[in-house]
Amino acid sequence: MTGDYKFDTLSLHAGHVPDERHGSRAVPIHQTTSYVFQNTEHAAALYNQELGGHLYTRISNPTVAVLEQRIAALEGGVAATATASGMAALSTALLVLCSQGDHIVSSSRMYGANINLLENTLTRFGITTSFIDPSDLARIEKAIQPNTKLIFGEVIGNPGLDIMDVEAVGKIAAKAGIPLMLDCTFNTPWLLKPFELGANLIIHSLTKWIGGHGVAIGGAVVDGGNFDWGQNDKFPTIAGPHYAMDGINFYEEFGPAAFTAKFRAEGMYNFGPSLSPTNAFHILQGMETLPLRMQRHMDNTAKMLEFLCAHDAVAWVRHPNLADHPGHELAKRMMPRGAGSIIVFGLKGGRDAGRIFIESVELASHLANVGDAKTLVIHPASTTHSHISAEAMIEGGLSDDMIRLSVGLEDFDDIKADFEMGFRAAAKFAKTKD
Amino acid sequence: MKHQLFDTQIHIATGGRSFVNDGEALVLLHGSGQNHLTWVLQSRYFAYRGYQILAPDFPGHGLSNGTPLESIEDMADWVIALLDSLDVKTACLVGHSQGCLVAIDAAARYSDRVSRLGLIAGALTIPVNDQLLTMSDKALGKAISVMTSWGHGPMAHMHDNTQPGHSFLGYGNRLMASNHADALRNDLTACNNYNGGKAAAAKITQPALCILAASDRMTPVKFGNAMADSLVNSERVIMDGAGHMLPAERPAEVNDALRRFLAS
Repeated sequence: MTGDYKFDTLSLHAGHVPDERHGSRAVPIHQTTSYVFQNTEHAAALYNQELGGHLYTRISNPTVAVLEQRIAALEGGVAATATASGMAALSTALLVLCSQGDHIVSSSRMYGANINLLENTLTRFGITTSFIDPSDLARIEKAIQPNTKLIFGEVIGNPGLDIMDVEAVGKIAAKAGIPLMLDCTFNTPWLLKPFELGANLIIHSLTKWIGGHGVAIGGAVVDGGNFDWGQNDKFPTIAGPHYAMDGINFYEEFGPAAFTAKFRAEGMYNFGPSLSPTNAFHILQGMETLPLRMQRHMDNTAKMLEFLCAHDAVAWVRHPNLADHPGHELAKRMMPRGAGSIIVFGLKGGRDAGRIFIESVELASHLANVGDAKTLVIHPASTTHSHISAEAMIEGGLSDDMIRLSVGLEDFDDIKADFEMGFRAAAKFAKTKD
Repeated sequence: MKHQLFDTQIHIATGGRSFVNDGEALVLLHGSGQNHLTWVLQSRYFAYRGYQILAPDFPGHGLSNGTPLESIEDMADWVIALLDSLDVKTACLVGHSQGCLVAIDAAARYSDRVSRLGLIAGALTIPVNDQLLTMSDKALGKAISVMTSWGHGPMAHMHDNTQPGHSFLGYGNRLMASNHADALRNDLTACNNYNGGKAAAAKITQPALCILAASDRMTPVKFGNAMADSLVNSERVIMDGAGHMLPAERPAEVNDALRRFLAS
């Protein structure tokens, strides 16, 4: 090897070299809870983080580790830790970073569960959040308080598709001495590598494009290793004595991977958001084809945008690759390969027409996921975002007639024909109603 | 721990345990553009096995203040001054790469202070090509990336890590980027200018363990073998398939070899 492997190669290989004894080319599923220690000294060394290795699958697992190392390699991070879901990754990361009395500055335009966690759950534990329009850089900066521990947002907001200027927000966070943590589920490392623009921590729902097949739930937090946890006194449990392991100082002992060391030692130990080895295996199968699928997702998205924008039944279409999107220029600059394969649109007949459309399409599946290889549709206001307040819905850019479309990999002519059928059904309903 | 040396505050990793001077220390010396984090899987391991660990960040590296030292001889003097300041009588010096040059120079000139040598991925000379020297001055990020890439063996390029979830290349890049901007250029220049290795090695009679990497592209194994050949009281271990960053790439094997050597 005379240089570093490229993205497509890493998607297939990173994290795994066939072992000498068995030579298994595929990543083996280590379906075990525990690992036999060589002796008591070896056991103590693993518990004390003197050596790498596995001691209990709640903390780490060889199959899961391959997935983690593959994600870390694709993102250009120092380390990754996989979790049972994207929400497990986010909630654990926030609890590893924040304590009672701390504050978060967050985008107001995000996935409903992300907002709920910050707005309703963490407040019960004394952690408060200021929600800010991700495009309003001045307000983001102004919202930072002395007790603010991070800025959080989604690169491509779900479902409003607002684009966050990662570089600009990263500079605001760096100036304030706090990390920028981003949910990068919608962009995947194929479209954007946020560490290169100044983000410090990345959250993924691996269930979506990275898995791509819709058979396994999983999540991950990736550590960019580019935040200096010792630059101020904001993170005393990372850059000061921690209760674990004789008052370990993660910052001094693990340097760029200090956050990951604490996430593993406290987050995985105490909260136990572990990913199952079998789910890790399934997600790895998906990752192998991530670059191929993403290219096809982008190709079909471009065709779909052209189709929807020209269609008489469609009242409006929103996607960052459309010139009328407020984040169009930013998206073009940050994500030249395309700004993801989610499109939101509304039909001329409003919410009722949307309902009939969703119930009439046959190829597109009506379900609560995105990023599947198959085309998916849903009505966010009554489903994925139904638990957030009416005010948060408006703030988040959700309208009652919005249909969220996750463009799949089918032959585009077939998706188009399916949508035409749905539009005809919606039109017929509107006529009957009249 | 924080320590004051020559009016400069420096950082010394002690493996998570308080340093208690019992007269003999195990001193871990990092390589060019590296810092105490080179030894993340050695310092804690040996500290919890009864060794008094000192893994200093040289000035301008890691968490130490100050400006980088300009020659290998200066670094060797600095290590001995560090021992003096802590009242440590003797030490086993374990070096990695450039740290081997420092350890060899110190062992030759301060033979009563250096009890043993552990020389990991080392050589008696470490010439640096002009292109890399220029890069370390004019394009630091690129130099770090090139060295991290060249410094790691095939398993590391596949991100196959004993530390679950960790990337060798990602970690290596960030570790080097955390140093003073002049650190790498100074270190590489110091290595390139040092030509006292052969003479120093000829004076060394202390026991030495050379741990070499068969796939080392920074200090190829033939130079490591020459180093081992020139030390009269040395033994060597060669690790197949490993690259230059042996302490991270093969922590268990490195620790086992060092432990056997220290106990012998």
